[in-house]
Amino acid sequence: MTIETLYPEICNLFGEPTNVKYLQMSVPGAEVVNTALNDEPAFVSRKTDLVYMGSMTENAQELVIGRLRPYMDRLRGLVSDGTAFLMTGNAFEIFGSYIECDDGRRIEGLGLYDIYSVRRMMKRYSSLFLGRAGECEVAGFRNQFTFSYGDNTKNGLFAVTKGIGLNPDSRTEGVRLNNFMATQVLGPLLVLNPSFTQMLLRLLGSDAEPAFLSRAQEAYQRRVADFSDPGCRF
Amino acid sequence: MKRIRFYFALWASKLARAAIRLMGRNASFWPGKIALRLCPDFIGQCGRPETVVSVTGTNGKTTCCNMLIDFFTRGGETVLNNRLGSNTNAGIASALSQGNTWGGKARQKLAVLEVDERSSRLVYPYIRPDYILITDLFRDSILRNANAEFIAGILDSSIPENTKLVLNGDDLISSRVALRNRRVYYGIGRLPTDTDTCRNIINDVRVCPVCQSPLASDYVHYCHIGRVRCPKCGFASPEPDYFADSLDFENSAIHIAEKDGGETYHLAADSIFNAYDVLGVIALLREMGHSRAEVKAAMEEIRIVGTRYLTEQAGDVSVVDHLAKGLNPVACSLVFDWLSRRPGKKELILLLSSDPYELPENVTWLYDTDFEFLNSPDITRIVVGGKRLEDYRLRLLIAGVPEDKIVCCASEAETVEHLELAAGETVYFLHDFLRMPYNLHLGEQIRGRIRERVAGREEAGK
Repeated sequence: MTIETLYPEICNLFGEPTNVKYLQMSVPGAEVVNTALNDEPAFVSRKTDLVYMGSMTENAQELVIGRLRPYMDRLRGLVSDGTAFLMTGNAFEIFGSYIECDDGRRIEGLGLYDIYSVRRMMKRYSSLFLGRAGECEVAGFRNQFTFSYGDNTKNGLFAVTKGIGLNPDSRTEGVRLNNFMATQVLGPLLVLNPSFTQMLLRLLGSDAEPAFLSRAQEAYQRRVADFSDPGCRF
Repeated sequence: MKRIRFYFALWASKLARAAIRLMGRNASFWPGKIALRLCPDFIGQCGRPETVVSVTGTNGKTTCCNMLIDFFTRGGETVLNNRLGSNTNAGIASALSQGNTWGGKARQKLAVLEVDERSSRLVYPYIRPDYILITDLFRDSILRNANAEFIAGILDSSIPENTKLVLNGDDLISSRVALRNRRVYYGIGRLPTDTDTCRNIINDVRVCPVCQSPLASDYVHYCHIGRVRCPKCGFASPEPDYFADSLDFENSAIHIAEKDGGETYHLAADSIFNAYDVLGVIALLREMGHSRAEVKAAMEEIRIVGTRYLTEQAGDVSVVDHLAKGLNPVACSLVFDWLSRRPGKKELILLLSSDPYELPENVTWLYDTDFEFLNSPDITRIVVGGKRLEDYRLRLLIAGVPEDKIVCCASEAETVEHLELAAGETVYFLHDFLRMPYNLHLGEQIRGRIRERVAGREEAGK
């Protein structure tokens, strides 16, 4: 299995590099390719089973958009062909149509989906999150300067049980296009949600179990139980 | 010309302070809050001391301010400060209200103000400091400050143009704040404990800010603190104006080279983190015009108070009770690193979860924290307590700690019962800063129980 991590030198906030480390621990022998900011992504010229990118600063979002834009035709082709992508945190925003800044400036996104984000640097949103992807319950956190807008009701990643979706009025979180998955849920998502990780591993054609499965499930079950308590919120 | 609204706010604030003090409480926040509610530009309207010095940054603000206040008060000067109170805009407003006469004139000629980095936008445009010392900028608790670049952006947009900056040149985040301003840098040279590459998970300066190529390190003190250069475009860390070319912790001495000479000062510090505080304070004082001899004499007397750990001997077992800033990945990583370098066998009690006292703990910080330092043959057992103990266990497993070394214990007070307490080892009790004074009591309980158990073992062995 080959996993490409895009720009880990700048897309590494909120402990998110552990998503890939956890996959690597789960599938011994999996190859991880780290693509640096000034390098051509591996997915352009070779087969990758999963392309991952995590949270970054706001300036880094603009850099990443600039670096990925020349490869968008290739990326769209891979999405159509069923290659798996996982984008977490504010990596979600850069694949939308645009990001509107505080001063009204628009940062053109990569346009993979028709969702835009509005950034307010002095109104950061933090909360817990509980949602579902089919049978799979997902728990995590949100910490973001943006709310996003658009219709993801038909191609959302998670149905929201607690917390918010794209914005406080939305009950659907993230986007799924074929096997391209993008979510603003933090965790690290794969470490905190062994069932979701198992689902991803099966999607990648692996029958491996998530590392430390029983221990991960204990932490997960405690979190889901806590978050499901009506008295538990932030 | 001061407005009626200002006087009304000042008097209301002063009366509120008197009332709160009568109730026996520390009036360091609410008088300022009231003043700002009544007069939003209260800080700018207050009588301003002739010289205003401010300290901000992620780490070391309080230590630096305490040293500065000690320096100035040694000479008999009274200093307007917020030492005993809040470092937010309300805290600054409270301090100014207290330091103003009823007529709105400053009583003191000098102010030393600790300013929370996030509050800087609500303080600096109004008080317009003459000097700002920025200690460093790091990731902090996720709920507090998101990311260091965000905080740098706040400082960048709120520091007035005429303020002179005293900056940590070994930190490429804070040292590039407000590039338009006059500035000096301080830095520490290579140390025996330094590395050529970063050993920490958190390193927020990996690419060149000019050309985005990977940076090369001359040396790394910790995380992104050290000296870097870009092999591609030639960008490099700024040359320090105040360069600590020798740190001697054993003899408590720091030599600081300047362009026109240098001096050896007393180093009231036992770690590089406090050494940066001492260095930053000396650089600031020198920029304010104080002579090397004057600063040297003062540094002999000034002490850093409030050590975060205490040690005691329980028979043949040493016990270290250490505060760690839970939710703060850098602070905890540095404690783990320090601990892992200590000699001898060790057992740990980890009570870092803030869950019972705060909102459900956002555990993302665990994965920014270097638990990997705890994967050491010298560490024979780690007992984890607190509500989120399953998360801590999983994090330790991912860090490579063998499962048979990890014990989970829901009852925090009973964690001590799971220690082996072998002769000659050291027990480290690491607990969250946010849970004081509860953990002070718990620490006493745990240390007492260790004494009992070790005494029992020694008695049985006779």
